[in-house]
Amino acid sequence: MKFSIIVDTFEKMENTTKRLELTQHLVELFKNTPSDLISKVVYLIQGKLRPDFDGVELGVAEKLAIRAISKSAGIPIKKIEEAYNKGGDLGHAASKILEQKTQTTFVKEPITTERVYETLYKIAELEGSRSQDMKMKYIASLLNDATPLEARFILKILLGTLRLGIADNTVMDALAVAYTGSKENRETLETAYNVSSDLGKVAEAIATKGLDGTKKFEISVFNPIRPMLADRVKSEKEALEKIGNEFAAEYKLDGERVQIHLKGEKVVLFSRRLENITSYYPDIVEKIPKILRARDAILEAEAVAINEDTGEFLPFQELMHRRRKYNVEKAVERYPITINFFDTLYLDGKSYLDTPYSQRRKTLEDIVTEDNFARLVPMMTVKTENEIEEFLENSINAGCEGLMLKVLNAPYRAGMRGSNWLKLKREYRNELGDSLDLVIIGAFFGRGRRTGRYGTLLLATYNDDEDVFPSICKVGTGFTDENLDQFYQLLSDKVTLKKNPRIDSKMEPDVWFEPELVIEIVASEITLSPIHKTAKDIIRKGSGLALRFPKFTGKIRFEKAPEDASTDQEVVSLYKGQKKIKQEIGQA
Amino acid sequence: MSLVFSAKTSGSDDLKAIISAISTLVEEATFVSTAEGISFRGMDPSHVALIDISWPNSAFEKYECDSDIKFGVRIDEFSKLIKRADKKDSIEISISDDNMLLVTIGKNKKYKMRLIESSATDTPLPKIPYNAKIGLTNTEFDKILGDVQVVSDYLTIRATPTTAEFSGKGDSGEVVIDLEKGSEQLTELSVKEESTGTYSLEYLNPVVKAVGTSVGSITCEYSSAKPLRIEFKVANIGRIHFYLAPRVES
Repeated sequence: MKFSIIVDTFEKMENTTKRLELTQHLVELFKNTPSDLISKVVYLIQGKLRPDFDGVELGVAEKLAIRAISKSAGIPIKKIEEAYNKGGDLGHAASKILEQKTQTTFVKEPITTERVYETLYKIAELEGSRSQDMKMKYIASLLNDATPLEARFILKILLGTLRLGIADNTVMDALAVAYTGSKENRETLETAYNVSSDLGKVAEAIATKGLDGTKKFEISVFNPIRPMLADRVKSEKEALEKIGNEFAAEYKLDGERVQIHLKGEKVVLFSRRLENITSYYPDIVEKIPKILRARDAILEAEAVAINEDTGEFLPFQELMHRRRKYNVEKAVERYPITINFFDTLYLDGKSYLDTPYSQRRKTLEDIVTEDNFARLVPMMTVKTENEIEEFLENSINAGCEGLMLKVLNAPYRAGMRGSNWLKLKREYRNELGDSLDLVIIGAFFGRGRRTGRYGTLLLATYNDDEDVFPSICKVGTGFTDENLDQFYQLLSDKVTLKKNPRIDSKMEPDVWFEPELVIEIVASEITLSPIHKTAKDIIRKGSGLALRFPKFTGKIRFEKAPEDASTDQEVVSLYKGQKKIKQEIGQA
Repeated sequence: MSLVFSAKTSGSDDLKAIISAISTLVEEATFVSTAEGISFRGMDPSHVALIDISWPNSAFEKYECDSDIKFGVRIDEFSKLIKRADKKDSIEISISDDNMLLVTIGKNKKYKMRLIESSATDTPLPKIPYNAKIGLTNTEFDKILGDVQVVSDYLTIRATPTTAEFSGKGDSGEVVIDLEKGSEQLTELSVKEESTGTYSLEYLNPVVKAVGTSVGSITCEYSSAKPLRIEFKVANIGRIHFYLAPRVES
């Protein structure tokens, strides 16, 4: 199959944001795809080679791609970097540059989808000392034979920047239409997808065996299931309105949601996004077989970092210290966790997906042996607003984010977001309590859709003792397209060549500004930060304070001078006001 | 039916040089053995460079092959293993009954290495007339490449009946190295037609370094804006040809 068929579809899809049109383009593509290639095509259109849980990652750095373009085109690296910086999109830059290529080759082979897929796969699998060179050669080999348009998309896939705006659902819609003639059959595909987490496999089944083929998908150990998701509610009252009069409330822990797969002594862990995260948690792997009275099982739990001395839950960021390739053992020692179980999906040969929540929870209680490391997520059955409120307070005081509310007789709907599960978070009630007014001191250039504008702003508070502006966070959310244009215009004449001496920042943005413009920001929390300079050394030596999940409210405070911005003292008192009370062990 | 194939070298240098040259281009290599000897031909994945090697049976201390065979190896694995040989060690290779590559180094070191499925398709050699021919020692050529690399990623060769000129040009500046006919460094210069070609150092450097001192002299043949062919002369080996596609200004 010619790769140009796929690339032509990509180009059409880039020019539309309408879901119906996107679906139609995909339908045509699928109709032109031989059935033995369909799974690969489905992965490629999502910019992947395999489903996420397989851990096949392209992970090609921009630098390497630039070297390959240079090699293929015979044009110096510097020139390519210049073109890239001007446009912000390496794929586009490459396709322009390759039009003027100077390096000739001995043979020219047409690019097929098979070849692109196989070459990308080889690149993903290469490791070892000379792998970077070989990767570069493989990339160059594709670019040598590619048309400029093909080169553009090959690079986008390699760099992980292929963003066609197609959700899993759009792919399933298109598969249903292409192979059964009707979108109505999507639900069947969805069920297959939700238990297999592998769209390529689903596509292959429907292409080769028809709709019946997709009905045979079954839950199996070591193949992750797409997690059930919760709707968000803002108040106890809203929760009661949505799910009736009696339901289970669980603490919502601020950790990592982990899907635990066990068979005999073998344990595999998947993240909420279904990546294989087994290597980060050797402690779970080691202890699980002893904790569970089960031969084989798929369970869900929350891994939470704790302070071993106090038993206190620590925020999610602490877990990120474990996300490393080397010295995991050391990280395990330094950042201890507890594993908190909350659901049973599969046990000893039987799927529990259709079993009601209350029964799944009961099963969990039967098989988990609780100790300091393994626990069940605290749960109680609640009926009234008062009961929910009280339990919510308890959970917040225990260092949790809020509550999960679950319908007692509802099945586990893999991959679905719905009202059978609700999350009630404290932050939706009164955020940080107050918004902050912060000064823009720098910016990072945008990529992709934000090319040519500032994608992220660097913000500071005001320290009136020393008359400086210490950094507090980067913000990239809350902006509309108009905002982005407006900021670019407002800020471009405030650009300075060097950092204004009144700015105190360890972080180096692409451009510095005169500290003048003040904007309003909300955030979910104030956290300690090794990078940001606000209130440095005040709460903890060597740390400043930063905002968690900052968001622009849309308000530019033209009426405020930079010296009127929120002060570091205000941030300190807000930080102290945040509750983190020692967790009461054994409370349920 | 058991097939007979075994080839034994008297020292390890030549084999090391060959494997090292091949490793600059490909990851997997398929060798062909016939009664006449062993040969290899392979192109790098970007189709810019090609190596063609032919190693006649007479070059071996002992050589037996009663039917044609192909065997594929992962070149880095093979290379690591060959490097375990001292300069004077003989190296004998053969294929075991369970289809592994047997490598005997010296008298008593016996390696068994997995073979890979050979995927090589026939790579045709570029057929072009060569208008210019330049002979140099490998050390001299290596030095020239080093000189040019300082300012450029490319080597331009211009040959006239009386001079061979090596030059390079980059953002920082340029360099010219002239060798007159009859000068000590130039062992040969024969030019049918004045020729100029430009070639990427990224491919030239590694292979010239790889064959290193086991090669005494080299011959460059090319025509204007056409591929370059470098012959590395190794005493015992029939032929090591390295082909490189030119750069052309568009």
